[in-house]
Amino acid sequence: MDTKAAAKKMEMRGKGLGSSVTENPVFPGRIELPYTLTTGRAAATFLAELANHKIVGSRCPRCDGIFVPAQDFCAACGTSLDEFVEVPASGKLSGYTETADGLIGLVRLDGATNDFPHKLLDTQLGELKLGARVEASWAAEAEGSILDIEGFALGGDEGGEVKPLEPGAEPVLEQKYEMRLDYAHSYGPYYGMLFDGLATSRRIQGTRCPSCERVLVPPREYCDVCYVRSGEWVDVADTGTIKAFSIIHLEFVGQTREPPYVYAEIVLDGSATRLIHTVAGIDVEDAKERLQIGTKVRAVWKGGDPIGSLEDIEYFEPVFED
Amino acid sequence: MFTGSDNKVAIVAGAQTPFKAAWADRQHVDLIGDVINGALKGTGLRIQDVDFVIDSGSDILDGRSISNCGFLGAMGAHQKEESRVEEDGLWAALYGATKIGSGSAEVGLLLAYSKPSEGSVPAFYWSQCEPFYQRPVGFGQAAAGGLQAQSYLARHSLSDEIFADVVAHDWANAARNPAVDVEAAPSADEIRSSDVVAAPLRELEMARQVDGAVAMVITSERVAERICPDPVWITGIGTAMDQHAFSMRERDSLPACRAAAEAAYKRAGIDDPTTLSLAEVSASSAATELMVIEALGLADPGTAAQVYGGDGPAINPSGGALPADPIMATGLARLHEAALQLTDRVDHGPDGATSAVVHGAGGVGMQNHCVFTLEV
Ligand SMILES: [Zn+2]
Ligand SMILES: [Zn+2]
Repeated sequence: MDTKAAAKKMEMRGKGLGSSVTENPVFPGRIELPYTLTTGRAAATFLAELANHKIVGSRCPRCDGIFVPAQDFCAACGTSLDEFVEVPASGKLSGYTETADGLIGLVRLDGATNDFPHKLLDTQLGELKLGARVEASWAAEAEGSILDIEGFALGGDEGGEVKPLEPGAEPVLEQKYEMRLDYAHSYGPYYGMLFDGLATSRRIQGTRCPSCERVLVPPREYCDVCYVRSGEWVDVADTGTIKAFSIIHLEFVGQTREPPYVYAEIVLDGSATRLIHTVAGIDVEDAKERLQIGTKVRAVWKGGDPIGSLEDIEYFEPVFED
Repeated sequence: MFTGSDNKVAIVAGAQTPFKAAWADRQHVDLIGDVINGALKGTGLRIQDVDFVIDSGSDILDGRSISNCGFLGAMGAHQKEESRVEEDGLWAALYGATKIGSGSAEVGLLLAYSKPSEGSVPAFYWSQCEPFYQRPVGFGQAAAGGLQAQSYLARHSLSDEIFADVVAHDWANAARNPAVDVEAAPSADEIRSSDVVAAPLRELEMARQVDGAVAMVITSERVAERICPDPVWITGIGTAMDQHAFSMRERDSLPACRAAAEAAYKRAGIDDPTTLSLAEVSASSAATELMVIEALGLADPGTAAQVYGGDGPAINPSGGALPADPIMATGLARLHEAALQLTDRVDHGPDGATSAVVHGAGGVGMQNHCVFTLEV
């Protein structure tokens, strides 16, 4: 099985035993979070020296441990560490496993106090033994990442020694990192009804709380305020009133419209809750002058087939009474 | 040293959704509304009587940030004191019990939920790993489990054959538990022939992630006496966290779990935990379940596999976490299960049970542990 298929299998494992696969539609979601991570002094030095094929550790003045990769604080005693050492690029295997991501070993470099995880290369599970000698295999090009050591392969001589680091490389002070998370969200019966209504007939539906009699949009099983089960389904108009608004000039990650634009909380006629949507069909400069709390709006639906989403409403346009 | 207040804390009610691989036709709020409503039902308590709500969930699993804000309505927390624990639900119980034990509240709602079927479980655990040294090399929850299993077997000169019997025991119990969706419990042979996914661990020796929610009502002694004929008393709580750096931890045992258990036993005055009626424990794999049993003092190191079905506490009568691991709700589900068994509300508990130890965990390779002791 290739790695990708195996990863998929791991992810899907939950859908194995004891479940019936249902064909419910899902709402696909993706979160992409771009980071610029600050490495800190130890990681900055460790990552930089990989280009010189040096593996940097930290010596703890208090417990005399040698920690690899280099750390800013001693993992054993908490002491702040500032003495870097160069450790041999070979050592012993303290543990290993194979997952969908390949062979992973815990490597104890010669002279080091601790193990660290890395990939094992050019070998198979059956060939490995606890205590086997391993040595670093260097990537052709250094990028300031732990993967500048491609991994560890079986082999390597004993007898290397820990020595003081003679620093040469510019520290890698920052590292770009992107986390991407994919989702398949369930609609559930209440959102499902709302979005089905939007998709089939451009209906906006809410539920009425039998206690406070407010109509809730989006519809929900329990009234937030009374905590009683909402009962009746109610059609709500596609016209309403602005309760709050803001003209957005800021750009931000994940933005779906080009600024400037108007974001508003709108109470649809026949409902009691505020729906967040865009107000357009008016010049932004005009909007500053003319939009008010209390301004009436109406939905402008997108052309073509509806997709069953609040995005089927392109925006709300103001209806001025004068 | 702090010796605790004299205020007793009672578990008076609870509810859970069935745990199954995917609740594809329900949103988080639908599951949450079901269990909150279910937990209050029959107690005579109204939502207005609830002093606080503490909920456990994960933004990474939910796919939205501060996801509890969107779920407040469903959890009955409108304009109430609400607090989110981004940890297993047993920590929600810890915070709630602490509030009531301190005398600052009398009625608390606890909630834990997860829908791992909507996202990626490996990504959830990767997000907890160190980004410079761990994530790029593929170290994650599966690798941690494999390394722990290898280390445990090597330390005690055991064969990986032992895991299948543990798993078969738990799945057979889960199959008797109506709250866990099990079509057919796998036999030990089926387990031994499932794919190796984190050597030496096989697919069926890893916890199966499931969707679900659980809610509980805890109260002061004064309230419990008025509304509940058979309260379950929380007698001890302990929690401990190991180092974040996995390679700095012991891999063949769980010393943080032992520390948490010792704290709980000390508070409860339990000298010999093997005299307890039952244990409901969490685990990421068959190997860590054995380590948990040992850390809880229910077996000597290397012998946990031998105590299943023995004279000591019944282990995971509900099935435990291997057949049903709703990630953030796993520990609270153990607490709920133990309470059901101690009050004879389910058939799968041991006869005449009067005391229990309950365990929850969090983090990659079970870094954090929380232990409760209960009695009726
Ligand atoms: Zn130290
Ligand atoms: Zn209401």
